[in-house]
Amino acid sequence: MKSIDQSERGKLEIFSYDDKIVRMFTIATIVWGAVAMLLGVTIAFQMANWKMNFGLQWITFGRLRPLHTNAAIFAFCGNAIFAGIYYSHQRLLKARLFNDTLSKIHFWGWQLIIVSAALTLPFGLTTGKEYAELEWPIDIAIAVIWVVFAVNFFGTLIRRRERHIYVAIWFYIATIITVAVLHIVNSLEIPVTLFKSYSIYAGAQDALVQWWYGHNAVAFFLTTPFLGLMYYFVPKAANRPVYSYRLSIIHFWSLVFIYIWAGPHHLLYTALPEWVQTLGMVFSVALWAPSWGGMINGLMTLRGVWDRVRTDPVLKFMAISLTFYGMATIEGPLMAIKSVNAIAHYTDWVPGHVHSGTIGWNYMIIAGMLYFLVPKLWNREIYSKAIATLQFWLATIGLVLYVVSMWVAGITQSLMWSAIDVNGKLVYPNFIETVVKIVPMYWVRAVGGTFVLISFILMMYNLFMTMKLGRTDDTEEYSAYALDDSSLEENATKHRKLEGLPIIFAILSLVAILIGSAIEIIPSIMATKWVKKIDVVKPYSPLELLGRDLYIREGCYVCHSQEIRPLGHEVLRYGKTSEAGEFIYDYPFQWGSKRTGPDLARVGGKYPNMWHYRHMINPRDISPQSIMPNYKWLVEQKIGYGSLIKKMTAMKTLGVPYSDEEINQGLIKAQAQAKEITNDLISSGVPAQVEDKELVALIAYLQRLGKDYGSSGQ
Amino acid sequence: MHKEVLRHFDQAYLAIAALIIFLCCFVAYSFWTFRKNSGHIYQAISQLPLEESTLMKGDRHERS
Repeated sequence: MKSIDQSERGKLEIFSYDDKIVRMFTIATIVWGAVAMLLGVTIAFQMANWKMNFGLQWITFGRLRPLHTNAAIFAFCGNAIFAGIYYSHQRLLKARLFNDTLSKIHFWGWQLIIVSAALTLPFGLTTGKEYAELEWPIDIAIAVIWVVFAVNFFGTLIRRRERHIYVAIWFYIATIITVAVLHIVNSLEIPVTLFKSYSIYAGAQDALVQWWYGHNAVAFFLTTPFLGLMYYFVPKAANRPVYSYRLSIIHFWSLVFIYIWAGPHHLLYTALPEWVQTLGMVFSVALWAPSWGGMINGLMTLRGVWDRVRTDPVLKFMAISLTFYGMATIEGPLMAIKSVNAIAHYTDWVPGHVHSGTIGWNYMIIAGMLYFLVPKLWNREIYSKAIATLQFWLATIGLVLYVVSMWVAGITQSLMWSAIDVNGKLVYPNFIETVVKIVPMYWVRAVGGTFVLISFILMMYNLFMTMKLGRTDDTEEYSAYALDDSSLEENATKHRKLEGLPIIFAILSLVAILIGSAIEIIPSIMATKWVKKIDVVKPYSPLELLGRDLYIREGCYVCHSQEIRPLGHEVLRYGKTSEAGEFIYDYPFQWGSKRTGPDLARVGGKYPNMWHYRHMINPRDISPQSIMPNYKWLVEQKIGYGSLIKKMTAMKTLGVPYSDEEINQGLIKAQAQAKEITNDLISSGVPAQVEDKELVALIAYLQRLGKDYGSSGQ
Repeated sequence: MHKEVLRHFDQAYLAIAALIIFLCCFVAYSFWTFRKNSGHIYQAISQLPLEESTLMKGDRHERS
């Protein structure tokens, strides 16, 4: 950087942008996007046909699904966010990124985190918390790299040459601050081994924290950064200013303020206090206003250039992404209304809604952004507009197939679950009847997903050809006046000054999200007050504890819930409504969010041990039309007794009332219970050598579920 | 169920506090955003993505 002029406007400085890092994140976005979508299509086919699990433990649905969500959110969308932010941030501030080395650490650190996720999740190394499955060493790495990103981002802000901070950057600031808070609070855990930890929260408290995180990960990882990118790239591509800057201000503050409160809508009809659920529902409905305010602001920016939307790939993808954003943000609050949620929750309607957002909003806006960035960064026109158009239609048709099939599947199954005849009995008492009915929709979903994957591969080809035929140029230099006193506005108002103070602005954003968070976190802190202790609920036995870890390892929570809602048909089907006090020893909670299989909250004692043994080896032995994979390796692999004492000690640290004697006797007690279960299995004809096998521990856990309270008279 | 609601509804002040805080903030920033004589400021700011800096050297054909 050098200064070349001294005028009444101050020093004119010459500088360059760091576009190399933007190119690196752009390529990473494309590569990881393909991986995420390939994984998505794979698990979609696994849902349609269980044989697609191939009998291999590393690629079962329960292990690949978390990998898919992590790859889509953190690898694909994450890299896209960094590419878009680093490109627009420099240009909006007329400054090169704060530090090139930090940029490189950010890039390689993030890729290392993604690779670590890809290497650990298929091996079952997971915390068992949805969308936060990565184990503690990776959690720490995420926090460190996020701080590196924040330093680079705020450092650039401090060194800027533009007085005003454009609204896109407000959204970036809110993202950086909030994601840090969410990640740190939700990931608090006690390490047991290098790849095993327990959440410091249990049961209903963990559920509240987890869905405060889960909901706001959607808000502040998949929404606010992309809205910031929208406010930069849509005006840029349309070559006209945003429709209403005033509306963008109201959009920002309302969204940041309201979004954070709505987390409990993921936990309606659960054991959470009613007032928390109602608050979550009301603020979810209130979200309609800012969401649509932003969507309208984006779409109206395209006024006067609608003719170009037909031909320009950038505008085409931006317009469709805003349209899907509008649809998804109507659907989300609708699903948060309790009466609608009673139908939608635990069904395929939820993944349908989620993909309307992630494919319709995130993938489409990323595609638009990439079609803008790649020609700029590689100095060449896009390779083929025809391919981009074909991609657009394949992605749109694929997404419609996906969403509609999941609407049909979700609503059909939910109505079947709740159907009660004139005698007050369930019309479809066998859960599998409701699954068989919707399997055709799973095929439609898989085909739709394949369309989306093909569309992405087409984009990959199109972009890589553009890169190949283009060339990079890092010699470009720009000029702008330094940000000194000469650039201060005369008679600037207080708000104008505030808009130029990024740190104060960041603190105010933090306050806005913390107020909403406090309303959710206070009930968590006060959990001991509102969670009624149930005397009959006791800690898990040592073997059950090991079995529970296997349940988490296999990702059973991905398909099975452990939470019976206070709805008539659920009580008829599963038993007594779940109470918060039942889960006080569940570190982490395993309520789940989807019922591809039945709820397991009261499965303990419902079937004999032999039933579970046969069911886990081949579910079709018990239920011929089951779509659950085989878990044969559970009778081949030995129980990991080695870490038992450490696990019990960690549980004790967290508050589980294990005595020292119980911990010392843990191994003996676990082996004794395994022997007991094995003897029962042997009496039913199972070979004796299963005594030290994992399946025995899992059976111990499953047989305990809901037994304390479910079968008690309390 | 109604009894269940009443049993747990002992922290209603939080919900009311939430509503009041949000409404106050909403009114404040809406009022501020639409204050008189601020139109020209926002018009200028909204041009920022289109302005940026001036290309001095390099072979890009346009102003970035």
